[in-house]
Amino acid sequence: MPDESISVIKVRDLLMVTMPADPADATVSALQEKVLQAMERYGAKGLVLDISAVETLDSFFARTLAETAQMVAVMGGRTVIAGMRPSVAITATQLGLALGSVITALDVDRALDILTDARQRRRLQ
Amino acid sequence: MSDEPHGEARVNVETDIVTVRKTVRDAATQLGFGITDVTRIVTAASELARNVFLYAGSGVMRWHSLDTGGSIGIELMFEDSGPGIADVEQAMQEGYSTSGGLGMGLPGANRLMDEMEIRSEVGRGTTVTVRKWRRR
Repeated sequence: MPDESISVIKVRDLLMVTMPADPADATVSALQEKVLQAMERYGAKGLVLDISAVETLDSFFARTLAETAQMVAVMGGRTVIAGMRPSVAITATQLGLALGSVITALDVDRALDILTDARQRRRLQ
Repeated sequence: MSDEPHGEARVNVETDIVTVRKTVRDAATQLGFGITDVTRIVTAASELARNVFLYAGSGVMRWHSLDTGGSIGIELMFEDSGPGIADVEQAMQEGYSTSGGLGMGLPGANRLMDEMEIRSEVGRGTTVTVRKWRRR
């Protein structure tokens, strides 16, 4: 089994994760735990999941991403899933995947805009 | 079988699902499917390979190309000797699952492909066949 390991990178008070093109189930599951541990360790306020390299988003992968976002929310953070390819978006919708209330963005730039704008607005209130 | 393009991938451990996806991706790309159809076919294959692993523990995926003279397509066959499906109609229903999953595998794969057939015998095993035709 290839030892795939996904890095969770801290940038300011956010976490950034780039998903590989075709991760095994175990890799996706391991990521969930890693992200939650990093949330606690760094006191992160948000998470960007970059899926622009992902070629196949099946029901297991999508469910784990949506679950991770829910868990991050329980820990007080917000998650933005960024960069879904058009072919993946079409397939995921036809498959019947609902990413629930997960926020999505066209790319990482916009994801960062969403997470930082939201915080600025909160500070002004 | 004739000398038409074909191949197979075994499902014994969880990471074999990745191998099935890679095998099917290469096959569908070689047969000239566009990127969106390749993604549909690979995603359906992933759902069906995971079903084999979850319910039967092991099995095999075989693919071969289809050529009817006018149309080019791909057929994927997932075969296992697992517990079988008692009620195929129920298994095809959205949200029905006996594994704690989302119950999306079979109905989802059905929507992504053009044709689907399920042959199952309780205690004997299950064979799921799906086909996708290339659009011209």
